Amino acid sequence: MVDLTTRYMGLSLKNPIIIASSGLTGNVESIKKLEANGAGAVVLKSIFEEEIIMEYDHMMNKMDQFESDYEYFDYYDYKIKEENVSKYLQLIKDAKAAVSIPVIASINCVSSHEWTYFAKKIEEAGADAIELNAFILPSDPERSSAENEKVYFDIVNTIKKEVKIPVAMKMSYYFSNLAQMIKKLSETELKGIVLFNRFYSPDFDIEELKVISSHIFSTQSDQVMPLRWISIMAEKVSCDLAATTGIHKGEDVIKMLLAGAKAVQVASTIYQNGAEYIQTMLKEIEEWMERHNYLNIDQFRAKLSQAKNENGAHYERVQFMRYFGEKESTL
Amino acid sequence: MEDLSYYKEKRSEDWRVELRKTKKAKERTLMERISMLEQDAVERSQNIEEVNLGLTEEMALVEAQRCLDCANPTCITGCPVGINIPGFIKKIEVKDFLGAAEVLKDTNTLPAVCGRVCPQEKQCENSCFYTVQLKKPPVAIGYLERFAADYERNSGKMAIPKVATNNGIKVAIIGSGPAGLAASADLVKFGYDVTVFEALHEIGGVLKYGIPEFRLPNEIVDVEIENLRKMGVKFRTNFIVGKTASFDDLRAQGYQAFFVGSGAGLPRFMNIPGENSIGIFSSNEYLTRVNLMKAADNNYDTPVSFGDTIAVIGGGNTAMDSVRTAKRLGAKRAVIIYRRSIEEMPARVEEVKHAQEEGIEFMNLHNPVEYIADQDGHVKQMRLQKMKLGEPDASGRRRPIPIDGSEFLMDVDAVVVSVGVSPNPLIPSSLKDLETTKWGTIVVNQDTMQSSVKDIFAGGDIVRGGATVILAMGDGRKAAAGIHDYLMEKVKKN
Repeated sequence: MVDLTTRYMGLSLKNPIIIASSGLTGNVESIKKLEANGAGAVVLKSIFEEEIIMEYDHMMNKMDQFESDYEYFDYYDYKIKEENVSKYLQLIKDAKAAVSIPVIASINCVSSHEWTYFAKKIEEAGADAIELNAFILPSDPERSSAENEKVYFDIVNTIKKEVKIPVAMKMSYYFSNLAQMIKKLSETELKGIVLFNRFYSPDFDIEELKVISSHIFSTQSDQVMPLRWISIMAEKVSCDLAATTGIHKGEDVIKMLLAGAKAVQVASTIYQNGAEYIQTMLKEIEEWMERHNYLNIDQFRAKLSQAKNENGAHYERVQFMRYFGEKESTL
Repeated sequence: MEDLSYYKEKRSEDWRVELRKTKKAKERTLMERISMLEQDAVERSQNIEEVNLGLTEEMALVEAQRCLDCANPTCITGCPVGINIPGFIKKIEVKDFLGAAEVLKDTNTLPAVCGRVCPQEKQCENSCFYTVQLKKPPVAIGYLERFAADYERNSGKMAIPKVATNNGIKVAIIGSGPAGLAASADLVKFGYDVTVFEALHEIGGVLKYGIPEFRLPNEIVDVEIENLRKMGVKFRTNFIVGKTASFDDLRAQGYQAFFVGSGAGLPRFMNIPGENSIGIFSSNEYLTRVNLMKAADNNYDTPVSFGDTIAVIGGGNTAMDSVRTAKRLGAKRAVIIYRRSIEEMPARVEEVKHAQEEGIEFMNLHNPVEYIADQDGHVKQMRLQKMKLGEPDASGRRRPIPIDGSEFLMDVDAVVVSVGVSPNPLIPSSLKDLETTKWGTIVVNQDTMQSSVKDIFAGGDIVRGGATVILAMGDGRKAAAGIHDYLMEKVKKN
């Protein structure tokens, strides 16, 4: 029998499959089902600013029917936020009482001040750790890279002043010097970095000439980004790395562990295949380990990371070169 | 569109037809809108006397002539309770000032109050022919309403409305704000034995604790309360229904119906770090302590020293009342901090103008994100974030968006948080069968104001969340009619 246990952010996990922050982790019944099917940990659903704004607009439309005063709902978004925070804290308490796997709370951060107050309450509610979900798209041409990057460090520093529990940062790859950014963040008080955040992306409906949502779920091909960057950074960072986006099968988990991840986060595959699919993925990992005579994860973790690979250039190659060069045109 | 047949009938009366002929419409439209007489800005910022001084008879007569007595009076549809506006203005034009007050009182229990605090520029005056068609300043409906009501009060001929013989049926009114006072007036006229229960030591609700003397003198409200007493309404102060006595206790004492007008007395905060520091008040606490508990007077039991720099968070009328109060209490720097631009402020245009004239500083597009306290836990600084405006929200106003990295510190001695209030939760939480919304308001039938508990009716802020004074009074009157129907039906069955 192989040992699938791993340590991530100082937490002991029975296996490396963490259920990512999503609707799957938004209520206790679902969390219990995920645990029963073998999840190693859960990251609770984030509270999003957009949801608060939508509820605010809905409330204002309702109140308008009563000819209510603007003054009444001018700051009502704060009240909605307070209610959502209170519900969230209750979710943490209920989840902690219902399951024995680690419960990681998630904070959707857009600025350094926004949620610091909230972090303290999350710790008091009993969360095992916090994942800062940094949804920052560097789309403002007037802002410098340095300004954008500073926000991340400000968030970490401010939150770490408030809490003692381990904190991870889930980040995107939109940086001009990604390797240095990951390294520098790992040298803060963060205990983990999750690569990479998956943003909502717009798509176009060319018949209706409308902006629509692109694919909601990730696909397996999306895993190339975390795979490359975890491989490159695994032996160069001062905190744990977790992989997410495009991890759909047991083999994908194995790849990320070989790259050097301490754990992986999954959501799309569970939405598509159900909670029971966690068992299938775990079985695939176990069978592979048995086939390769590994007794525990540490025996193969980071085995294919850039630092441990003789041909490190593979990881940094950006041109297909020979592949397309040798492939004859069929046109 | 409401049924205006009653209005058309009145408009066809001979005297009105003749009056319209005395001056051509064109001449009327060429007249300039009258300006309100006001105390000097510097002088008034150091006293608590009323800022607006009212119109003289001559001014009222001139302004009344501007009203065209339209066949299609859009101003009436702009009024939440459908006051016969041209009806009372034309009475002023013929110098029948008491008659004008009578027309007002047909639909408005407290015209002297509404003439002072109603947002006419968003309601009747916004729908006036001058505004809509001529793009000129509207008839000064609010000023004229106040004039007629003040004239009646000062004339010594204030009529006490006739009341029906007491039928012995006890009705309880919970809360003595505008909704409760309006309900009590109509119910006592129907002949009921009406008692108003008030949690505070003063009658008047938000009219007393919330609106400062310089905008609405207590004397105006007291005269109306005295009239209600004369009509037979009983008042019990320091009585909290749900604590001092339950609904069942009151039912056992013979009360057969209830009107809940308990308002929105629960202050909201922003839940940002440091907000619990000493020296940070809700506007409710700040205004109540100053207006009702004489907190600015060291001879009273609970004086407070507010300091030199007072920041008020918010952009509504309550924020303006708070910041102007701070100025009057001696603040060297009284500052409004509001996260949108001045155009988006919910406060009345007149209140913003008065505040600016009095030297109030406006820091628009700023929002507090943190308060910093000294060693004793007293607020000494606030961290402000600069904001920009984004896309319009559901109210049509542009949404405030924080500018990252724009935070800075500002020294303050006290902060008044005026970001809204929620319905008082005491009554909804004391009745498990009472249907409420997720916002804590009571669900009622909009025609009768009856709640899910048959003998309980409700109106004003406890139903709407936030209502203007006139809407709250309209609710009180509608509920009084609903209670009357309910009780008559009950009597018939028995």
